[in-house]
Amino acid sequence: MRLWLKMLVILCLCIPITETQAEEDTHAKYVEFVEKGFRALFQGDNPATIKAFNSALAIEPNHYEILHYLGMIYAEDSSWNKAVEVYQRSLELQPENVEVLYSLGIVYFKLNQWEDALTPLQKVVSLSQQHARGYEVLGKVHVKLRQYDKAVEVLNKAITLKPKAAGNYNELGTAYLNLKSYDDAIKNFKKAIEYGPPDFAEPHFGLGTVYQRSGNQQKSREEMQIYQRLQKVAADHERFTRLTRVDPDNLEGWVGLAKVLMQQRKYKRVIPVFQKCIELAKTQNASAATIASFHHGLSQTFINLKYPKLAINSAQKAVELVPKHDLYYNTLGSAYAMMGDVQNAIAVFQKAVSLNEEQPYYHLNLSKLYDSIGQQKLAKQHYQAYQLFLSKQKAKK
Amino acid sequence: MLKKYRYFTSILIIMCCVNVTFCMLAEEVNNEMILVPAGTFTMGSNFRSADEQPGHKVHLSGYYISKYEVTNAEYFEFWRSLQEKGVIKHTPESYSHLPQIGTWPERASKFPDHPVVGVSWQDAKAYADWKGMRLPTEAEWEKAARGYTDRIWPWGNSMLPHANTSEENDGFENSIAPVGSFPKGKSYYGAMDMAGNVWEWTADWYSDVYYLHSPKQDPKGPDVGSWRVLRGGSWIDKLPRCSTTFRFYLYPTLKTSFVGFRLAKTAETDKK
Repeated sequence: MRLWLKMLVILCLCIPITETQAEEDTHAKYVEFVEKGFRALFQGDNPATIKAFNSALAIEPNHYEILHYLGMIYAEDSSWNKAVEVYQRSLELQPENVEVLYSLGIVYFKLNQWEDALTPLQKVVSLSQQHARGYEVLGKVHVKLRQYDKAVEVLNKAITLKPKAAGNYNELGTAYLNLKSYDDAIKNFKKAIEYGPPDFAEPHFGLGTVYQRSGNQQKSREEMQIYQRLQKVAADHERFTRLTRVDPDNLEGWVGLAKVLMQQRKYKRVIPVFQKCIELAKTQNASAATIASFHHGLSQTFINLKYPKLAINSAQKAVELVPKHDLYYNTLGSAYAMMGDVQNAIAVFQKAVSLNEEQPYYHLNLSKLYDSIGQQKLAKQHYQAYQLFLSKQKAKK
Repeated sequence: MLKKYRYFTSILIIMCCVNVTFCMLAEEVNNEMILVPAGTFTMGSNFRSADEQPGHKVHLSGYYISKYEVTNAEYFEFWRSLQEKGVIKHTPESYSHLPQIGTWPERASKFPDHPVVGVSWQDAKAYADWKGMRLPTEAEWEKAARGYTDRIWPWGNSMLPHANTSEENDGFENSIAPVGSFPKGKSYYGAMDMAGNVWEWTADWYSDVYYLHSPKQDPKGPDVGSWRVLRGGSWIDKLPRCSTTFRFYLYPTLKTSFVGFRLAKTAETDKK
């Protein structure tokens, strides 16, 4: 009887121990999945992040933060409906979470569900009056819903918080255009162009439309031409990006992409593209002239980025491959000049002149360099040569 | 009830085992407070991520910042004091799948001089309150890391491995390092590990546009927010994310193996 009682006590003590241990084990699994999820998230591995966070939530479903992170990854992968589902689950746990409300608004916007986007975004700006991103998207939603007065109010608030956001000025321009407030529209489209990237086409379309409606046909045509040119560059960019993705060994595709990126002045992005061109050109036994042109492109890119050492290195490679190309010496000279190496710069500009005496800008470069070291006579001679060949060039045209 | 009893018994046993070793090791790291004198510095950068822009001048009153990240041993003291009062709160997360970090409270004796991780922002704040201090504001953190010159990393502008990051060959591959393992990585004011090892909670809420409107004197972050700002990068991050200006943010309730904190305190003379 005593033994039986002892056994019963031990058994009773053991049951909660086993339960607690099991709880700890499942929580440990949850922690492991969350950690895996964050690692994958930081490495940009969306499928692994989704898998890990879903596994974590299968164990402990009520973590509003993990639900939000999972939703953001679904949204990044354009899995909009899944994103909506997890955001709503997150909001059930924390209904006034501003960032989840904002994320939900964005997803509805992407799904073109403007009415659905309104509620969460209005809540965002009422809960957090400094939420610039909230005002931005809410303003866009009002424009889409043709609620232009409201759009003006909300977008002006967004601009107060983010005074150099080109997109907001473009949306505000659109709102004023539809309110027939043409002067305000012009002012805002111009601001959008001023603050936006060089390939921002939409404000030119907006300006073209305002000018057309206000009877200024000449200006309207000019703006529409810029818009069409930028649209073409954007279309080429898209085409060459797809081509190089589908056929990564297509040299023409990479060359096209490099040209487009140079036109768009996206210098940092063009570096790996030129490097890829050089790599492919070598493996495909392209001519020395072709390879040299890529080194030259790379050199010009480095000059634009103000990396003179790298520019010199690339220009020297171009010169080694094609020693009689005047333009390559001019680029090399510009890189030396940027470095402050006047002697080498003068030497290579002279080489460029010896190969093509009638290019006025080589003389102008030499003139400036001689002037900088106090050799006024030579500076004057080259300036005169610059003027002479420039006028000849103009006459030919 | 029985569960609770079992829980306390196990904690008491662990505490008895840990205590002796812990008392010996706790003194090894003297987490002194470093004075950062009042003055102006440049916060943010015009050349980096959008939320780091613009670079702007900020004047801070004098303050102290802890030389090291708060260690396991230091945090254990706080945790034990709560346990003794029967308060089961602010327990760091356990990482049984990461033996180089380990479970709590065992890791307090196994790795006493590692920074404490697996703590939420609330845990960090509770610890700071217990110590009679506070978490540094984002501005205080950046000034302590950057000094009055515009250093990209606490030690300067060279990409030298003076920090525990995810890069290879820093001596601590895929693991946390004991605090102060990179003496050459100290900041202008002498704070250690302000790049890498663990992200550090700051007091401020995160806003991507805060720098556009922040006060020029002692900014304390937005009034509301969802995320708290983290600074400094960690053992799972590449060096660029460990720069003195890089801003990261997480939900304050999250506990992860790559987030810890350090302390700050207003300098007495500047209180007046």
